[in-house]
Amino acid sequence: MREGLLVTLFMISLTSLCDTINQLFLKSAIDSLNFGGKFNFVRIFKFIFQLLIKPRIWLSFVFSVISLCIWLLVLSRADLNFAFSADSMHYIFIALASRFILKERFTSLRWLGTGLIVTGIVFVSLS
Amino acid sequence: MFKKKVTLKILLLLITSDILETAIHFFFKKGALAEAQFSVVDMPSALVFLKAVFSSPFLWAGLLTVVAVFVIWSTILSKIDLSVAVPIASFSYILVPVVSVIFLHEQISALRWMGILLILAGVILVSLSSKERIAQSK
Repeated sequence: MREGLLVTLFMISLTSLCDTINQLFLKSAIDSLNFGGKFNFVRIFKFIFQLLIKPRIWLSFVFSVISLCIWLLVLSRADLNFAFSADSMHYIFIALASRFILKERFTSLRWLGTGLIVTGIVFVSLS
Repeated sequence: MFKKKVTLKILLLLITSDILETAIHFFFKKGALAEAQFSVVDMPSALVFLKAVFSSPFLWAGLLTVVAVFVIWSTILSKIDLSVAVPIASFSYILVPVVSVIFLHEQISALRWMGILLILAGVILVSLSSKERIAQSK
């Protein structure tokens, strides 16, 4: 049981990691388009088209498919309420990636929130 | 620049996205449960399981709901600030466990409920901090 829990947690962290990589590619592809200002239908279609020809978007898509496959494997062995709660560990990966790869600035409120999520996941896993 | 006013229409959209978000996870879990006869022990058996799940209507219902949530969520974010939208949308952190108990007959201990509430509080704080960050850089 204990070992099973560790394997499940490891798989959940893999999906979360794939999700984070997917988000990073998505963010980097969207940022590279420098899209701002007013939205209208023509511009939105142009935006989507320009996005779709970026290889990074397809990498992002590949990672979301991998993430979905691992997630389905997780669901085959874990309760939904546990898996869903533990999956919020992507907040931790996203926080680390935003801080150290995208070099975003963090407030103490954000660290506090991330810390609460970590504590919550520990509680959920212990029960 | 902050769009903070939550109108009734936005609130309804947020509640819809909460319910649909919960439905996504319910569908995926149902899809996995429907193929529970396959025991996943190694890579080949995992592929057999995945192939079966991908032919399950539950999975495609889930993926369709993902698209619907994406559209609704984009609409919400074009009308309201992320730091306001996320705390209201985080209701699914409660809704998914409730649905798990009622429809999937899972059991949740008091300790786990406490963990869920901590995660919920953390998610709300993280989303509130996005407002703080923008306010600082102004």
